[in-house]
Amino acid sequence: MILNYIKIAFRTLRKNKGYSFLNIFGLAIGITCASLIFLWVEDELSFDSEFEKQDQVYYVPTHQEYDGEWRTFNSTPGPFAEAMKTEIPGIVKASRTKHRDLLFSVNDNAINSGGRFVDEDFITIFSLKFVEGNAKEAFNNPEAIVITQETAEQLYGKNAKAIGKVLKVDNTENYLISGVIENLPKNVTFPINWIAPFERWSGDKEWTNGYGSFFADTFVELSPEADFNNVDAQVRSLLEKKTGDSDSKAFLHSIKDWHLRDHFENGKQVGGRIDSVRLFTIIALIILLIACINFMNLSTARSEKRANEVGVRKAMGSGRTRLIFQFISEALILAFMATLVSVLLLFVLLPQFNLLIEKDLVLGLSQPFHIVFLLGITLVCGIFAGLYPAFYLSSFKPVEVLKGLKVTQGSANYIRKGLVVGQFTISIVFIICTILVYQQLQHIKNRDLGFDKDQLISLNVNGTMIEKFDVIKQDLIQTGAVSSVGLNNSGILNGGNNGSNLTWTGGTNTEDVLIFFRYISSDFLETAGMELVEGRGFYENMAKDSTSVLITESFAKLMGEGSAIGKKIDRGDVYTVVGVVKDYLFDDMYGQSDPVLFFNYHGEASYMYLKTNPKIGTSDVLSKIEAVMKKHNPAFPFEYSFVDDAFNAKFKSEQLVGKLSQLFALLAILISCLGLFGLAAYTAEQRSKEIGVRKVLGASVSGIVKLLSKDFLKLVGLAIVIAIPVAWYVMDNWIGNYAYRIEINGWIFVIAGIVAIVIAMVTVSFQAIKAAIANPVDSLKTE
Amino acid sequence: MQNILVSLNEATRTVNSGSNKVTLLDTINLNVEAGEFISLMGPSGSGKSTLLNCIGMLDHFTDGGYTFLGEPVHSMKEKNRAKLYKEYIGFVFQAYHLIDELTVYENIETPLLYKNIKSSERKAMVADMLDRFNIVGKKDLFPIQLSGGQQQLVGIARALIGQPKLILADEPTGNLNSKQSGEIMELFAQLNKEGVTIIQATHSESNAAYGSRIINLLDGKIV
Repeated sequence: MILNYIKIAFRTLRKNKGYSFLNIFGLAIGITCASLIFLWVEDELSFDSEFEKQDQVYYVPTHQEYDGEWRTFNSTPGPFAEAMKTEIPGIVKASRTKHRDLLFSVNDNAINSGGRFVDEDFITIFSLKFVEGNAKEAFNNPEAIVITQETAEQLYGKNAKAIGKVLKVDNTENYLISGVIENLPKNVTFPINWIAPFERWSGDKEWTNGYGSFFADTFVELSPEADFNNVDAQVRSLLEKKTGDSDSKAFLHSIKDWHLRDHFENGKQVGGRIDSVRLFTIIALIILLIACINFMNLSTARSEKRANEVGVRKAMGSGRTRLIFQFISEALILAFMATLVSVLLLFVLLPQFNLLIEKDLVLGLSQPFHIVFLLGITLVCGIFAGLYPAFYLSSFKPVEVLKGLKVTQGSANYIRKGLVVGQFTISIVFIICTILVYQQLQHIKNRDLGFDKDQLISLNVNGTMIEKFDVIKQDLIQTGAVSSVGLNNSGILNGGNNGSNLTWTGGTNTEDVLIFFRYISSDFLETAGMELVEGRGFYENMAKDSTSVLITESFAKLMGEGSAIGKKIDRGDVYTVVGVVKDYLFDDMYGQSDPVLFFNYHGEASYMYLKTNPKIGTSDVLSKIEAVMKKHNPAFPFEYSFVDDAFNAKFKSEQLVGKLSQLFALLAILISCLGLFGLAAYTAEQRSKEIGVRKVLGASVSGIVKLLSKDFLKLVGLAIVIAIPVAWYVMDNWIGNYAYRIEINGWIFVIAGIVAIVIAMVTVSFQAIKAAIANPVDSLKTE
Repeated sequence: MQNILVSLNEATRTVNSGSNKVTLLDTINLNVEAGEFISLMGPSGSGKSTLLNCIGMLDHFTDGGYTFLGEPVHSMKEKNRAKLYKEYIGFVFQAYHLIDELTVYENIETPLLYKNIKSSERKAMVADMLDRFNIVGKKDLFPIQLSGGQQQLVGIARALIGQPKLILADEPTGNLNSKQSGEIMELFAQLNKEGVTIIQATHSESNAAYGSRIINLLDGKIV
């Protein structure tokens, strides 16, 4: 019996090649699309999931209140980890950590490597596995460092023993390798290449021992029996108790939420990447839905051709159930072929998709889970898409179809039209969303930042860059490749160093305002292209400006009416405002410019900014800068980044949404068009007699094309009417998430509508013209 | 009573066409004994096909009684009815109605599939049938590759394969030329001799003459 079905399915497929192609290809695109998305989703969900203690490990960020609003920071005071461990019974392990990039050099081989200074508990919290040495003795020596296998290989080559070796760090200090651990999984929120005892970093830094500075990333492990809510409540109040300040509350952030749910608004968890994951999962399902709709449409449209078979089979004694079973197995066979095609497509497309989303996904067909998932999609699609046609086709009455009566298409016709409207509605919504996402992104990117991100290069300060700043600057400018050089303690795009409890003349409640501090060299403003709106900039001689500060406009506003120049700011020491800088954006590119206070001091700068000459090619500029840096800071490899790249990277998730919505809009339209194409072909065929009669009676070709196209355009028109409010609602919500946003413009809907109509016209008219120019004698002769 | 195959007692079939009630079959009384070869005659629209379909249980009477092999079909559930006709009735159509996607062999085999007969048994039965109809050489051809007469031959073979007690043939030669038509009618006569009961609907006097009894229908009534 099954064999009989398979045979007939294949013969039907072969006999109707065009139809089979549309059906299989449409479904294959849908499955490919969904598979790509699900691979991405799987990757996102896998973050941190390989660590053993999923229910016990927490990160400890803090909510801090400024001006009535709670902001969330990733840092805690130094002693807080130990305090939690000793005073809260549910917490059994705790570790302060501090991320650092260190330069490791072995002979001529030097690599920059990110890792963390940690407390010993860190090793057990994350269940780090030692391949050389062991967890117990790893931190016995204060000069110890534990590196990953990958780092060991980079330094000493494959299979070489690393334990016991002395490692030169930053060209100044020696570390003793006390262990080698397995590499961390690929997807972790806090990647490390090495760990070393926390004291090695904090050693002489007195400020790390008090509750005044928030700087450490703190991790804790709860005992398996501990009640989360109870422990979390204690953590919240403990920081308050220690600092005596009700404005800071630490809390527990589960390892399961680190990657996907790390956004906080006013002290509440409000999602994060999980939003994108959900969004794209829905999109994947919608695309599959469109593909299945195609399948249903094409199958029921061909019902007349199959009606006879249904009648005969029923007369031969087949019950309805058997026919339903037969048609569903046909659908399953088609779906399975579509899956095979889509596996081929995946092989071809995955590398491109990886480029697009900047990931490293693998198809992994050897993983049982992937196979099962793919087969699952196949099964669900086959059954879902085959169910309606099966029920519809099997309902035919043999007496009617065998007599050659026209199959009454009433309900099927409406359903088919409804499905086309559904497909096009989805496609049009995609088109509108694509345009709006693109607009919003451009809108943000073209926003006046208050500084000039173009031609701006950022270097991490290391080695002797500060001591030799003056000569480096001189030499750089002399190359002609660089026009200006400035130093800053904080990245220009980052939030960075901040604090409150300042007082100043002309302000009220000043203690409550969060102020961002910048320690810069005198030429930083010029380098970054920031504008001085009032007063003067800093002197080159830092000493002459030891009590002078610059502020931004938004700070000046906080100081009340009139010029801010000459007003005093008290931050323990008293400073005088000598200049006002135009507001500029940092950290949140969608938000407002927060007030900034500039000091003329570059002794502890972390970043060097270079404004380059636009007339010289990029590679030329870089090689000239590299030559200068090699000369003055030879121990460190030359590493740089472009500020505009970093700026663009801030919109990664938006850009991803943008790129993917473009891709999916395109695919949704393509699939819908395949369906429409098949349906138009069917309609033209079904009406060939009518067309023949009309032509004999004198109808023109254009008249007939119009006749055939009209019905479809009505459907597309209806789809537009439905799509507009849906798209408006969805996008109004999405755009509403951004403080700095576009207005939704009416003409976008017009454009999307026109695009849909044009695409539908092109699709349908091909078939309509074909039918209209056919010789009526042929169509009338039949029968 | 033992050899009464079909018994109709004031069987009536009406349909609603708009607001009108149209009577297709009007109080038909008919007994068919096993071994009979009945020809239904009458002009187009007189109800021949409807009567065949109703007897064949593809359609149903709206009133009156229908007994098949002593079982009351009119009060039977759909499922049991299907079981009954699957077991005892074979159809032959004017337009042959072979399944285009299946070969001659597979077309003949189809009814057996629906009767859940084992594969080895099916093979033997189909082979017998092909042999008997002299179409062994054509078993792998598709219907489209056969002449009308050959297609109808396959159609009859398919109707016979389930070893039915009753064959219902609706103008079985309506699409054939007179030579092919004669051959098919000879075949029916032969089958009837072998004990198969046949009811055929026909326009042709000469075809009707092959039957043992002629029933004339006019406007849904036996005249």
